[in-house]
Amino acid sequence: MVDQQLLIDEVKKVVSRDDVKYVIGYKKGTSGFAISPAFAYSTEYADKFIFNPLCKKNLAAYPLLEDKLPLKREEKEDKRKIGIVAKGCDTRALVQIIQEKGLKREDLVIIGIPCSGIIDHKKITAKFPNETAYSTIEEEQGFYKITINGKVHEIAKEELLADFCSSCIAPNPVIYDVLIGEEVEPWNLEEHKNLAVLEEKDVGERWEYWKEHFDRCIRCYACREACPLCYCKECMADLLNPQWIRRSVNLSENTAWNIMRAYHLAGRCVGCGECESVCPVNIPLMELNKEIEKDVKKMFEYSAGMDLEEKPLFGTFRPDDPEEFIM
Amino acid sequence: METLILQKDKLPKLIEKLSSSHVLYGPTEENGFSLFKQIKDFKELNLKYLLTRVSPKSLIFKQTETLFKFIPGRKGAVTSSKINEEKSIIFAIRPCDARSFKILDPVFNGDFEDPFYISKRKNTVLIGLTCNSPEKNCFCTSFDDSPGSTENVDILFTDLDDRFYVEVVTEKGKNLIKSIEDIFEKSTKNDEDSKRNIVTNSVESITRKMDLDSLALKLDKMFDHELWHNTAQKCIGCGICTYLCPTCHCFDMQDESTLKLGGRVRIWDSCMYEEYTHHASGHNPRPSRMNRVRNRVYHKFSYFPKNEDISACTGCGRCIDYCPVNIDIIDVIEKVGVIANE
Amino acid sequence: MTVTETKTELEEFEPNIIGFLCNWCSYAGADLAGTSRIQYPANIKIIKVMCSGRVNPMYVVNALQQGADGVLIGGCHPGDCHYQHGNLLARRRMAILKNLLEFIGIDSRRVRMTWVSAAEGRKFAEVIKEVTEEIKKIGPMKDIQRVNEW
Repeated sequence: MVDQQLLIDEVKKVVSRDDVKYVIGYKKGTSGFAISPAFAYSTEYADKFIFNPLCKKNLAAYPLLEDKLPLKREEKEDKRKIGIVAKGCDTRALVQIIQEKGLKREDLVIIGIPCSGIIDHKKITAKFPNETAYSTIEEEQGFYKITINGKVHEIAKEELLADFCSSCIAPNPVIYDVLIGEEVEPWNLEEHKNLAVLEEKDVGERWEYWKEHFDRCIRCYACREACPLCYCKECMADLLNPQWIRRSVNLSENTAWNIMRAYHLAGRCVGCGECESVCPVNIPLMELNKEIEKDVKKMFEYSAGMDLEEKPLFGTFRPDDPEEFIM
Repeated sequence: METLILQKDKLPKLIEKLSSSHVLYGPTEENGFSLFKQIKDFKELNLKYLLTRVSPKSLIFKQTETLFKFIPGRKGAVTSSKINEEKSIIFAIRPCDARSFKILDPVFNGDFEDPFYISKRKNTVLIGLTCNSPEKNCFCTSFDDSPGSTENVDILFTDLDDRFYVEVVTEKGKNLIKSIEDIFEKSTKNDEDSKRNIVTNSVESITRKMDLDSLALKLDKMFDHELWHNTAQKCIGCGICTYLCPTCHCFDMQDESTLKLGGRVRIWDSCMYEEYTHHASGHNPRPSRMNRVRNRVYHKFSYFPKNEDISACTGCGRCIDYCPVNIDIIDVIEKVGVIANE
Repeated sequence: MTVTETKTELEEFEPNIIGFLCNWCSYAGADLAGTSRIQYPANIKIIKVMCSGRVNPMYVVNALQQGADGVLIGGCHPGDCHYQHGNLLARRRMAILKNLLEFIGIDSRRVRMTWVSAAEGRKFAEVIKEVTEEIKKIGPMKDIQRVNEW
């Protein structure tokens, strides 16, 4: 468990630095189990900061989302750093973005948080559909203790833990300036649920499975917007000339979109699960991402966002890359 | 208004009858959530959920609609698209979602008449279902609506445990019922009271409230307030709020073609995307997320009410439930109220 | 009864194969096959690209959407790339793409890659034969084809 007071103190320390613009973290949401991203410009605001297993949102998307409006006359660009509260996967996303030169390491102050897995919001709201507020949520020896209206509910961790967390390779921050509390023990890695089942099916059955999911896609592109690594200035899906993907929503275009979304994250996806958890029509996008991650690991011994110095997967090659498939 | 009773064991019969004469849409469960789909059999129906994930506006204002067809090139020609005249029914639509059509009507049947929308609207019978247990983010009562409102539906069903209390509201509803009257029974005063109790209970269980009192005026005074910046800072521009919203109706039109044939299609768009307002010149009048988030709120609660005399919100709470960063429209409006009172 | 009518449906299926061939090796190889009068199936429609590394995976998906039953990407042999290592970058991309398509349920045999040098006219013809045979066996690609409803 992360000590809330320790977190608040560190955030206060960081935000009061002259070279820091603001700190991005989490605060309690307005209803139910919602968590809201929070931006602390002052030490007073930092008091609202929390971290609990519900803090799923990958905040690494925010430094890139910052609105850079045209400067007024004689206005100078604010070049101060951004503080960010980051779990393991969030720091992996940051590493990946830094590798790709989307951000500079020196522009960030990373407040690292050792994470022991997060709760899937869809699972917990299904369990407590009508709770309007909770008071505390704690993790204790394989159980989550959730206090709602003074009543403590003990729920086994597996029941609420997000599926993608069980195959997380970096529960501890990869890079950080400050670490809150002790590093956690990495857990036994399990392959992402359902991958093995799908791999065993034949091609036709797999298509039936994905067809049903892609058919439902409403192409809101929330998966893209939520992903910390989808930060292209102009997405290929938005291009009109050439128009790779038509705007009409049908199986063909939806499949093309989903293939390309997953493909563009090959060797870049850090497994934070944002795409899947925001998807309004519950498409299991992480299954695609995890499958690619597995292939990348197997074929190229490469994991995204683990090392600042590493070259991007597709920007490099090895002479002995697998080529059995080449005629 | 005619009131009737339908025993629950007669529901399969009803579905069978309705689906044989009409295209019948009803809520179905799939992958842990509910969606409106065409149903042929009673078993596909799932009335467990309060709201479908994607609102039923998608059945009338379709996400993709072909407006006309054309042949590209020098010998180009345009042929108009056939208008779908099939009779359909939306079964178990919630009163708030039904109300969304009242909001969409002036858009598609106002200054400009959209034949596709009008035809579907005309040929669709709305069969409502009273909400027995509203969800935590429901706030339809703020818009003078009620979980048991008959205002915008043709027929309203109310679940009274072992039977449905059926209120036939409009001519359209009457015509539909006429041919299958034999499966219904007469209702009693008792049933009416039971429905009233259910609605009263539902209304009481709605805890969230939006203060709409002279909201448009309040908003007028705070266009440049920093609230918009603060709210939008956490927005990731994903557009879920607008795609799931029953009243959002922005669209884009695109030409799609092969070398020989093409069509102009209308697809949903969202004001939360940067691309939405991007001019061909490169200029973007809403360059930042602040402008876009502000526009969404203003459109719903200031521009639209000024033009059409109705807020473009039904209080279904979908945008609150599914916003990944917890931008809570009630909370935003609450803050507007606080700022206006200062 | 004409000859075509006696044929079974499968035999009648003539696949559409799009070939993205690199300007320096594979395209020249195809050219050589042509000038040497080597017979190969006419199912392939060639699009010349400057390098196999130029082939965006979107080209492949888009080809499948627009009615191709198979896609062939041709590049120089490793080490021979006109741009040093474009083909080796393409190799990585296609390895991932093939696996992803297979996972989604699109037979990965529809997407093939080959190294053909400017001197290998015969190999080019062999490759086309093999690919065409195989795709005939798999059958037409209907799953993600555009419907063009209008």
